Amino acid sequence: MKPRDLELLSTYLDGQLSPSDSTRLETRLKTDPELDSVLTDLRAARTLLRKLPARKAPRNFTLTRKMVGQNPPLPRTYPWFRFASALATLLFFFSFGVNTVGRQMASQAQTFGMGGGGGNTSEESPELFSAQAPAAAATEAPALELAPAPTLMPTEVADAARIVDTPTAKTIGGAENAVAQDQLQVQKEAPSPTPLIPSIWQTALAVIAVGGALFMVLVRQISARRWK
Amino acid sequence: MNEQALITDAQGGSLDAFNTLVLHYQDSVFNTALRILGDEDQAADASQEAFISAFKSIVSFRGGSFKGWLMRTVTNACYDELRRKKRRPTTPLEPDTDDGEEMDSPRWLADPNMTPAQQIEADEVEHAIQHCLNNLPLEFKTVVVMADIQGMDYTEVAAAVRVPLGTIKSRLARARLRLRECLQGFAELLPASYRLDDGIKAS
Repeated sequence: MKPRDLELLSTYLDGQLSPSDSTRLETRLKTDPELDSVLTDLRAARTLLRKLPARKAPRNFTLTRKMVGQNPPLPRTYPWFRFASALATLLFFFSFGVNTVGRQMASQAQTFGMGGGGGNTSEESPELFSAQAPAAAATEAPALELAPAPTLMPTEVADAARIVDTPTAKTIGGAENAVAQDQLQVQKEAPSPTPLIPSIWQTALAVIAVGGALFMVLVRQISARRWK
Repeated sequence: MNEQALITDAQGGSLDAFNTLVLHYQDSVFNTALRILGDEDQAADASQEAFISAFKSIVSFRGGSFKGWLMRTVTNACYDELRRKKRRPTTPLEPDTDDGEEMDSPRWLADPNMTPAQQIEADEVEHAIQHCLNNLPLEFKTVVVMADIQGMDYTEVAAAVRVPLGTIKSRLARARLRLRECLQGFAELLPASYRLDDGIKAS
């Protein structure tokens, strides 16, 4: 069977052949039993396919808005709130980063200033210089108080012995310890470096970020409820 | 149902209008998917995907046969499903009979209007045809399902499959011949009312 003949028979079966081609094919069918047999086969197959029961859909295939990705309409201001909230969140974390780095740099500068043996520390760190100034004064003051000690008269030895127990004398005796303690105290009392971004700004950014996010959630819920 | 008005509304984004079209065509779409895929669950998935895809691209519908356009969409969904099936082959879960064997035509799908004997006959003939359809090459199967099961004319099928009319005629003829050869193997199994000779007389 030629493919062309097979196609002609199938088309004839569906009534899609032109009248002239149909007449020609019908003449051939009368004289060619093989052709007629194939036509019978094709007709049988088509009949059987048409008898195939049509199944009902097992469920409805109607679409929901979620399926097609439709979202409820949001107010025009919504993108602005989203942008402001995102920006505030970003700046909030950025401010923390900036303050942390600033604090670390200040403490590093202090460390180098205190431990530096040889360099001119007053030039490296003005803060350190001012912190050391009272310490130097503390070391000089007891020296001035010691000056009159050798001029004491023998009659006053007893008094001098008492003087040894006075707070002034104690200061003289523990001069070195006092210097060290003062230095430590100065170090402790030295004001911590001021944060580059004040905490009031950080609070404001946090409020904008959280408030914006809450607002967006609220708007979405209200829009979805209205949409339904 | 004013189909054109519904299509226009759906093109404007109306989901309700589109859903009216879905309800009208869902049986045809599901049957096409079922005959191409040969599996109920996969056919249901492909039908759902086809409708989602159709809604998203309905703006591109420029007139002509809406059924043909839908059939093209479901055919594409079936091809996707077959590709997925090839990547991740699965074993269907058919209910078992009392003997512990798989039930080919589950009773829960039975048509309540048929007697048990008619139901068995229908199941057997359906099973035989589906078996032969499954053995056809995909491009033949698509054409024969659209033309002989869905009753679409050549022009509609050609538009849906996007191949020339001559190719449709050729594929349909060869598909019918192959089906006939395959179904001859089931001749003794088919009940009398479904014998091929009776069908010829009936037509």
